[in-house]
Amino acid sequence: MSELMLGEEVHVNLGGSRRQMLARAAESLYWLSRYVERSEHLARLIHENLQLLTDVGELAARVKHDLWQGILRMFGVDQLPEAQAVLAGTDEQVAQHMSAYMTFDAANAGSILSCIVNARENARSIRENISGEVWEDLNTLYWSLRGPDVGSRFEEAPLEVYRQVMNGSMLFQGLTDQTLAHSQGWLFMQLGKRLERLDITCRIIEVKFDILQRHEASLEPAERNIHWMSVLRSCASLEAYRRMHMGEMDAMRVGAFLVLEREFPRSIRACVHHAYDAVARISSSIRPGAPDQAERILGRLNTQLEYADAGEIGVEGFGGYVQKIRLSMAQAAASVKKIYFLH
Amino acid sequence: MFENYQVNGIFDEMFEGTGQPRAHYQSVHSRLMSLGGEAFLRRRRMADLSFRNQGITFTVYSDATGVEKIFPFDLIPRIVPASEWMTIERGLEQRLTALNQFCNDIYHEQRILREGVIPAELIYSARMFRREMIGVGVPRGIYIHICGTDLIRDKAGNYLVLEDNGRTPSGVSYVLENRAVMKRVFPTLFGSYRVRAIEDYPHNLLQCLKYSAPKADIEPTVVVLTPGIYNSAYFEHSFLARQMGVELVEGRDLIVENNIVFMRTVAGLRRVDVIYRRVDDDFLDPLAFRPDSTLGVAGLMNAYRCGNVSLVNAVGTGVADDKAVYPYVPDMIRFYLNQEPILQNVPTYICSREEDRRYVLEHLHELVVKSTNESGGYGMLMGHQAPTAEREKFAAMIVQDPRNFIAQPVVELSQHPSLVEEHFEGRRVDLRPYILCGQKVVVMPGGLTRVALRRGSLVVNSSQGGGSKDTWVLEEMA
Repeated sequence: MSELMLGEEVHVNLGGSRRQMLARAAESLYWLSRYVERSEHLARLIHENLQLLTDVGELAARVKHDLWQGILRMFGVDQLPEAQAVLAGTDEQVAQHMSAYMTFDAANAGSILSCIVNARENARSIRENISGEVWEDLNTLYWSLRGPDVGSRFEEAPLEVYRQVMNGSMLFQGLTDQTLAHSQGWLFMQLGKRLERLDITCRIIEVKFDILQRHEASLEPAERNIHWMSVLRSCASLEAYRRMHMGEMDAMRVGAFLVLEREFPRSIRACVHHAYDAVARISSSIRPGAPDQAERILGRLNTQLEYADAGEIGVEGFGGYVQKIRLSMAQAAASVKKIYFLH
Repeated sequence: MFENYQVNGIFDEMFEGTGQPRAHYQSVHSRLMSLGGEAFLRRRRMADLSFRNQGITFTVYSDATGVEKIFPFDLIPRIVPASEWMTIERGLEQRLTALNQFCNDIYHEQRILREGVIPAELIYSARMFRREMIGVGVPRGIYIHICGTDLIRDKAGNYLVLEDNGRTPSGVSYVLENRAVMKRVFPTLFGSYRVRAIEDYPHNLLQCLKYSAPKADIEPTVVVLTPGIYNSAYFEHSFLARQMGVELVEGRDLIVENNIVFMRTVAGLRRVDVIYRRVDDDFLDPLAFRPDSTLGVAGLMNAYRCGNVSLVNAVGTGVADDKAVYPYVPDMIRFYLNQEPILQNVPTYICSREEDRRYVLEHLHELVVKSTNESGGYGMLMGHQAPTAEREKFAAMIVQDPRNFIAQPVVELSQHPSLVEEHFEGRRVDLRPYILCGQKVVVMPGGLTRVALRRGSLVVNSSQGGGSKDTWVLEEMA
């Protein structure tokens, strides 16, 4: 701070469009982007579970229970009493309660609605940092979950409501890329999006691989394929996967794809790479040539993944491998907060 | 649509006494006649949806998700011919020039008090008079950079000044958004008139803010200071920051070190030169004013008095829009400018004057009583409509604290057709133009026409169920 007190120097730094953004605004943009990303994953996971349960007519009660509970585990709420209450009752009731709890429950801070409300509140507080297009998309998304007709629309076609959320998020990302200058604010949004995607994708792999491993023996080969397809669909990766691999699906192939695939933008490797890229650009826009803690953590992780070997990971197990990545990611996120947001 | 439309002996913006539309409304009138109720309603829904999806709302926050309402928008434009506007423009310029000289005088020489034009006691007892500002120089001697002056029309159609808002007038964002929506919903009609553009307001505002910077030789860093997202005018704060391309800051984003104001950025602290503050004086600095304020910045007043930062509007302008000072504005114009006022005031009784007070107490049933320091339609008595108990309550309050009250005869505001269900009825309107004082005084050609949407109501404030219209000031005919 002291060198900035010198008056003259401060003004030299102000020049033109390369101005440094407000710490609070950076934090809001980062969270705005994380919340939108989170809502998309939530929508996709619930959508996917509903679809899977329709696809595999008869499924052991234990498996169904694990599938729903898996979503709660991924978001770290499975131990809450209200979450456990959701899992009681008949199949139909569970599906209903689950969608209600994770979709529209405003009291549940982890529901889709809460994510969109939080995203919108963050956007509102930094409205001047985003474009009208982005703001309008967010508003439309908000009203699609809060409008007077949402109850009847959901009853009629629940999957449509989830698709709307997913498409709203995709549109949000497209508009963000195409209507904002790719300067600091945008980089913080990229960073938030990639870290959130990284976090959730790790969690999906940890939980889903674990469930499948436990039930693998009791499943027919055809059923096993359906389950692996569902894991891929949960990461919006099924079609991309199919273009590269044919034949049976197994933990090795699916794991290698979701974690290491270079050409797929939702793989763990891609998430880490883009997160690292964003933080490196932020860091050098502030102190060129002096990487900060967040950049160092993500840089190391990036290099590690760059040279990772699927065979080696397979031996250790993908679940355990991504868990370590997730813990590093949490450290990086904590550093981002400390370095950029708390001034 | 207009079958049962009644003019009722008040001034109607669209119709002459004979029921004929005025010349400048002809086009709008025939368009409305040909459109029909259903088509008109469809356009209104289009406009409402557009406001909602753009988040142009004001909020009554009672829970975390909030109840958001759109500011009711009345689609029929209010039209002001060029000749009328010329008078308004000159009158407003004159008025703001005098008000600025008044503020400068009050906080320095106080000539106007020493020469007995305004009683000194009235100024010293004004709640918004800031002793802290005495002798403090402000950049370019400008106090009120942004003014919103409320105009109404009497039965004869004369424009009168109802009040000046020289602290933090709001509403200009609605003027700009209303216009944008009108152009979308009625493109052909809009194109058939030659309406003066208002879209350069944010640019003019930024020029005005830069002009007020403490030092002229550097490119100043300008910010807008908002109380935050829970403030009812938050939309506007954010809108203006965005339109000007400057940062929108909250109190917690700013810090004062060695009497210099900085904002906290991702790269540390960065100096701020001009603050367009949308926070009232009372909340600006907990060290100087209300110690319980969490909206302001500790030390801001000292930085301001050292001349290291500009505040827009200046601190202490409330002395000029005190309702008991308002009756003296015509005298200010004569005193400072040696001119006759172009726009007239509404006749006003000042309750702290003994004879005025006696008259007010005897004629409460035909007067409007206003508290001198309230705005937004609060603290008001409509004597001719209020129940006896309410009048008695005000009578007691006036006797108790006469300085806090003024009274005015009921002025019949002009009316304008509004859509009510599927036909048109007359509703009362006022007009708030926005005036900027920088290098020169610039009056935005237009303003916020507010509508009292309840039948017979004379109160147009949005907090009291008012709506707004787009206001079209016409180009002069070649």
